[in-house]
Amino acid sequence: MIAREMFEQFKQRFGPRIQRADLPSDSRLFVYIDPLSVRHVCQEIFRELDARYVASIGLDDRPYSGKFLVAHNFAFDKDHLFCGVLAPLPAESPLLDSISDVVPAASWAEREMRDLVGIEPVGHRYLKRLVLPDGWPEGNHPLRKDVPWNSVPAEFDPAREFQFDDPPENCTVVPFGPFHPTLDEPAHFRLYVEGEMVRGCEYRGFMVHRGIEKLAESVMSYNDIPMLAERICGICGCVHNVAYVQAVEEAAALQAPARAEYVRTIMLELERLHSHLLWVGLACHIVGFDTLFMQSFRIREPIMWMAEKISGNRKTYALCVVGGVRWNITSEIAAEMRQVLDKLESEWRPVVAAVSRDKNIQRRTRGVGVADKELVKNAGLIGPVARAAGVDIDCRRDHPYAAYSRLDFDVITAEGGDVWGRLLVRMKEVFESIKIIRQCLEKMEEGPLQLEIKDELPVGRMGLSSVEAPRGESHHFVITGENNRPRRWRVRAPTYQNLQGVPAMIKDQQIADMTISLGSIDPCFSCTDRLETIDLRSGSVKVWSQEELLQLTRKEGVEK
Amino acid sequence: MSAIGMIAGGLLNVALVLLAAPLAQGILRKITARIQSRQGPPLLQPYFDLLKLLGKEDIESGEVPGMQRFAACLSLATILAVACLVPMGFFAPMSGAGDIILLIYLLTFCGICTLLAGLAAGSTYSLVGISREMMGMIALEPLFAIALVVGALHTGSLRLDTVLQGSAYNAEGFPWSGILMLGVMLLSFQAFVQRVPFDIAEAETELMEGPLMEYSGPKLALFKYAQMAKLIVYSALFVTLFVPWGSELRFPVGWLFFWLKLSGLVLLVTVVAATHARYRIDQALRFFAGLMGVAFVALILASYGH
Repeated sequence: MIAREMFEQFKQRFGPRIQRADLPSDSRLFVYIDPLSVRHVCQEIFRELDARYVASIGLDDRPYSGKFLVAHNFAFDKDHLFCGVLAPLPAESPLLDSISDVVPAASWAEREMRDLVGIEPVGHRYLKRLVLPDGWPEGNHPLRKDVPWNSVPAEFDPAREFQFDDPPENCTVVPFGPFHPTLDEPAHFRLYVEGEMVRGCEYRGFMVHRGIEKLAESVMSYNDIPMLAERICGICGCVHNVAYVQAVEEAAALQAPARAEYVRTIMLELERLHSHLLWVGLACHIVGFDTLFMQSFRIREPIMWMAEKISGNRKTYALCVVGGVRWNITSEIAAEMRQVLDKLESEWRPVVAAVSRDKNIQRRTRGVGVADKELVKNAGLIGPVARAAGVDIDCRRDHPYAAYSRLDFDVITAEGGDVWGRLLVRMKEVFESIKIIRQCLEKMEEGPLQLEIKDELPVGRMGLSSVEAPRGESHHFVITGENNRPRRWRVRAPTYQNLQGVPAMIKDQQIADMTISLGSIDPCFSCTDRLETIDLRSGSVKVWSQEELLQLTRKEGVEK
Repeated sequence: MSAIGMIAGGLLNVALVLLAAPLAQGILRKITARIQSRQGPPLLQPYFDLLKLLGKEDIESGEVPGMQRFAACLSLATILAVACLVPMGFFAPMSGAGDIILLIYLLTFCGICTLLAGLAAGSTYSLVGISREMMGMIALEPLFAIALVVGALHTGSLRLDTVLQGSAYNAEGFPWSGILMLGVMLLSFQAFVQRVPFDIAEAETELMEGPLMEYSGPKLALFKYAQMAKLIVYSALFVTLFVPWGSELRFPVGWLFFWLKLSGLVLLVTVVAATHARYRIDQALRFFAGLMGVAFVALILASYGH
């Protein structure tokens, strides 16, 4: 179904509630809705038209239109269509009915909107602070345009601590994180445990929010941001790099050359290969099977060398600029890559065969961390987590970008929605990635790598792009702006959605299954938090009290 | 045997275990590394690791520091006391000083040291760890006790030197109970020496070493040393009970034969640990419960002389 047909359906359903609509292409539909009807419209789109919730974006549009703007993005995967429901809100009272009771997946996005832009979701059941640090004063919203990017509010109170909810009765509290051998990045789960059973949890993440979006909107330029974007994540950075560039290209109606699209595809698939091999290794390590951890890292290494040959870096490829790519796949590299892929395939096949037969691993992963179809729908889960539950979604096929529409590959799904399913999906996707890269090498023709862009990019256009990261769909939303930089850039990394499903996955499970359940979404907290750690150095020997340490970290964090 | 001879023999055993335990650990690590396509640490690395830990500052970070220090010392002392009772290629040196009942108690005591360590440390993860250790202990300890009692039934004696000489097979006719217990002990051996897939109480990726979480420096060295010694002592027990063949040969041959068999067992432990994922506590308990059933059948068979 193309955007126009969907719009006809919308008109019949919602009639006068639609203020205006924008159909920039066959696969994009933006409808402006009367703010009072947003909840109803979203409910019908989500429940009756069975769309998938993607992301919500709040933005301060006051300097341009005098209003705040909220966009709830949905995807019609079978119809290859993205639909944004936009609601302009008056500058003096940015209130909007919360949709989180009808679309539970929007819960975090609304809390984030409240924290960062100050748009109040009316009727949201759990309005605890999500993103901002604990000492940040109420009423200061850093993503508003009148807040400078480098300001620290005078009322910042470094002593204030996060208030956890009361644990349920009969439960002891087991703190999980912020530092734990199986968490590679800081995030805190407060587990409510009864004996060995987890009965619930509270999550506090976003510990060192970097403010990447604000930085991009304030000081960087269109072609700086791709390099910033890929620093969102250390594993799937290229995904963010490509997704941002594609969103800008869409907004400005640019089309990258065909060879550039193939190069993007190859790099994205290389990234998926190394990420999946890394994950299988880590998952085995979590359940105590270190041999396979070591083996999959050994098998993965040539992929890293390949990436280094192409881009000069094992990771963080600095691949894209608006309108093209910076690296070429030469014929020598292509020949070597074919060899690397052959070796990888021949080494990976026995591993998959061995794991598939292994009763021991199955015992630890079957029926563990289950996310069924209902949870996938409600929490907006994506990627291998959704596919393992039998939900057949994959942005590469459903919303084709780069060169994927010209390639032939399968979307791997499994049944059961447990950790075992996710393991199978990821292991088999490795073969699909190999297939994709081989086709790209075959089909790629000589041609330019970059588009020549002579004019300034148009202002005030919306563009969005979803790229299938190894962990699921990575969604970028851009509104072009003045001064050679976007007005608003919103990143929704896959873990942002998948993490919201974790409390349901670990409930009423053994504490021993907590790590593998969390690990099975392949969490990437830096994507979610957009955070960095602070290095502490002290020359002399001194015993720090907790308060002193807190003071030290917070003072340093603020002054920088 | 004279009292001095007994003490000297006991001390010799202790020295042997203290010397050989890190080497066995070194072999284990090296072979694990080779299975995992790694180079692995030098064979002598565990000695250096222990020396390094022993030389570090003794940090008191738990709830009851005195108790923690006591638990660390006790855990090594207990396993060394067991070493005095078990023949290490010769005969049981302190045979007159105790019988298999004492041995069974001492083996249980090793687990109690871990409980003490976790309780004194008092962190949430240690408490979860010791609750697992306790559950494991309840299911596990009777297995070794039954193995020893089966031997005692066959020989009609509780003396160490009589029982610890392949007594499991001393039945009239075909040794059904001995064979059954051999199977049971083989299947549960990883748990006695606390290796994957039964390192549940320590589970680094779940509980961050569980009961040992609050330990560092010399105290950790003692626990680690005890764990390494455990591998040797339990293997020696297993060999004397179930694989007696060849030990009756004259001194250098029989002795070398004993250590060869012991190394074989360490090798088996290594390979199993490197090719398995960790079990969950409930899965492990179900597994032990099954073994317990078989062990009881063996006990009944033994008491009827089979």
